[in-house]
Amino acid sequence: MTRPHGIEAVELTKRYGDKTVVHDLTFSVRPGSVTGFLGPNGAGKSTTMRLLLGLDAPTRGHSTVGGRPYAAHPAPLTEVGALLEARSIHPGRTARNHLLALAHTHGIPPSRVEEVIGMTGLTDVDGRRVKGFSLGMGQRLGIAAALLGDPATLILDEPVNGLDPDGVLWIRTLLKSLAAEGRTVLVSSHLMSEMAVTADHLVIIGRGRLLADTTVEAFVRDAGASAVKVVSPEAASLAGLLGGPVVDVERAGPDELLVRGTDSRSIGRTAAAHGIPLFELTPVTASLEQAFMDLTHEAVEYQAVPLEGAAA
Amino acid sequence: MSTYELTPTRVLRSEWHKLWTLRSTWITLMSAGLLTFGIGLLMGATYETGGGDGDVDVVVLTLIGVQFAQIAFAVLGILVTAGEYSTGMIRASMTTVPRRLPVLWSKAAVFGAVTFAVTLVTAFVTFPAAQLFFAGTDQEASLGDPGVVRALVGSSAGLTLLGLIALGLGALVRSVPGAIGAFIGGMMVLPEVIAMLPYDIVADAVEYFPTKALESLLSAEAVPGAASPGGALLALTLWAAATLAAAALLLERRDV
Repeated sequence: MTRPHGIEAVELTKRYGDKTVVHDLTFSVRPGSVTGFLGPNGAGKSTTMRLLLGLDAPTRGHSTVGGRPYAAHPAPLTEVGALLEARSIHPGRTARNHLLALAHTHGIPPSRVEEVIGMTGLTDVDGRRVKGFSLGMGQRLGIAAALLGDPATLILDEPVNGLDPDGVLWIRTLLKSLAAEGRTVLVSSHLMSEMAVTADHLVIIGRGRLLADTTVEAFVRDAGASAVKVVSPEAASLAGLLGGPVVDVERAGPDELLVRGTDSRSIGRTAAAHGIPLFELTPVTASLEQAFMDLTHEAVEYQAVPLEGAAA
Repeated sequence: MSTYELTPTRVLRSEWHKLWTLRSTWITLMSAGLLTFGIGLLMGATYETGGGDGDVDVVVLTLIGVQFAQIAFAVLGILVTAGEYSTGMIRASMTTVPRRLPVLWSKAAVFGAVTFAVTLVTAFVTFPAAQLFFAGTDQEASLGDPGVVRALVGSSAGLTLLGLIALGLGALVRSVPGAIGAFIGGMMVLPEVIAMLPYDIVADAVEYFPTKALESLLSAEAVPGAASPGGALLALTLWAAATLAAAALLLERRDV
């Protein structure tokens, strides 16, 4: 099976009436790693995924999955497995019959249906009507449907929604192993903490616009929030020695400094050279969650400005 | 290497599976069939020569339950399409078959074939069964009488086409209650209202409305003033084709 292409979105734009939900979104998702699609609620993640799958037509721009528009594939289920945020299952059918109905369209044999039922842990409930399923079981059934065609690409909208801790761990392992097999995995979430342990790459959007397209590692580094906490009885004089054009020194307390733009090694040297005692010298790495909040803050704040004005 | 591929035949197979794996299908089909059959027997059992129904066509009298059955078939047709929108299943269907139209054609083909088969069996079982009671009255008739077989087959074709109109409406309206309302309003109430207009041309045109056309299809003997069986069948076919064409056009254009 050749799986070279991944997902390409070019200037995707979607307007509903006069509301632009997705704005000029260009990004690519490469095979072989898990890409987290992040954004606050209402950022346009689900709409973007619907555009990729051809459920909605873009107002402008286009996208390809595996090198072609999704609808142009002769066997779409083998190209993309999708889990949408909104439930896409008739509650009156049993889990097995739901999967069989989808499988029949591609000539996928019942043995493969049994396989995905086993993989997703639905063996005990596959003969029950979906009506009685918990949110977590419904989610597992959605993932079973996504895996049905052994697809080269997975597009999963908030897959951990409603799953218990076991299920969350299971999804994480599943996504990583799917990516390790060379598949393209795009998974949306509004939780940075979840993506930090699952994803390698990040596509971050806010209010329908691209905010970052980067790796998890580079994202934290570039967020520019790394600092060094320094505690010294001569904090004031140390601050004078450290301050400069690229180094920012913040007085965090009578004996405490928060230094940005340099590292603990050179702070220690400077202190030693001037005979200043140090009680504490601690690199502080910004949490991923904090970096995410900082990034999306503007997009959210932009929306909230009139409200703040009214409150004041 | 996988040999999986999306083909129209396979979509048909999928829609066949979808239809039979829902209880609502069994319930609507059984109730429509039993209602027609039961009312047919009741008509026969309670019939008296000279009781005032002597001039009613024998097939119309026997299949009077079709009045109710047509609603059951319409509901089934609407559930086949609009039911997918109200449950969200449509998103799975359209992701699986992103070219969309094969889903609509397959739904129409599967529903049409099943409805035709069920209504045909119902008609050909109900008529002889009711005749066990009609024997000896002025409504005594046999399958060999002129027009009887044609009217029985016509009832089946008419109900199927009416059901297909409902299926198309379901795809257009995308809501089960909305489509049922549109069907009852447009197919059953509207012709009665329009018929009250005092123009001859309107009275003639109303005879070609779907439910009116079904009535003339049901009659073994030609009804004066009504559409001919051939005209009625053609009219119903055109109504169904137009509704499905509109549904197809919008299915291609609208977001799911």
